[in-house]
Amino acid sequence: MPTAADYETAERLGRKRARMLPFFAIIFLTQQASYFSGPDVNAGRPVDHIRIAAWLAMSVVLLLVLATGGGWFRSREVRALMNDEVTRVHRADAFRIGFFAAMIACIGVYLLGLFEPIGGRETVHLVMSCGIAAVLVRFGMLERRAHQDG
Amino acid sequence: MAERLANRLRELRAERELTQAALAELVGVTRKTINTVENEVFVPSTTLALKLARALGCSVETIFSLEQE
Repeated sequence: MPTAADYETAERLGRKRARMLPFFAIIFLTQQASYFSGPDVNAGRPVDHIRIAAWLAMSVVLLLVLATGGGWFRSREVRALMNDEVTRVHRADAFRIGFFAAMIACIGVYLLGLFEPIGGRETVHLVMSCGIAAVLVRFGMLERRAHQDG
Repeated sequence: MAERLANRLRELRAERELTQAALAELVGVTRKTINTVENEVFVPSTTLALKLARALGCSVETIFSLEQE
């Protein structure tokens, strides 16, 4: 049974999550921009492996946050409140938008591939970036709107 | 013809002098959920509708109704 403190904590963390999600999307996309604008990552230098590993780690963490709702180090009650009915609906809607964003990225890459060869790694980067960023922005937007007083 | 789910949640909550946070605690959800239901942004599940009715001491039909758009 959640206590009054659990409700307060869930409310505070929920607001924080809503504020942070679009910010994470910006950081994530900025990281992708440096990946594509920087030196060729297929050169095999140690720094390139770190860049790829950093991107992969961030992608996995963001996916886990999106899938679970975060609050991993909080009590079960707080996590349940942070992922109540409206949050689950918002997340499902965000994943729907993310799926379409990823599919649009796939179409874009396919069309671009007709004119210029694109490597598998770059394709995965583009598709995952579009998908994850779209989910982050949509989920954050819906959550922020829901938290607004009214 | 399209129908929308209207509700009197804000009015019934105010009658009982409950804040959104207080009602949320009675129901076991966050204040955000109560806010979205009151603003008709979110259509609650049957489970949540029944919990809201129980917390306010009235029937589900007293809170929710279908209206023609």
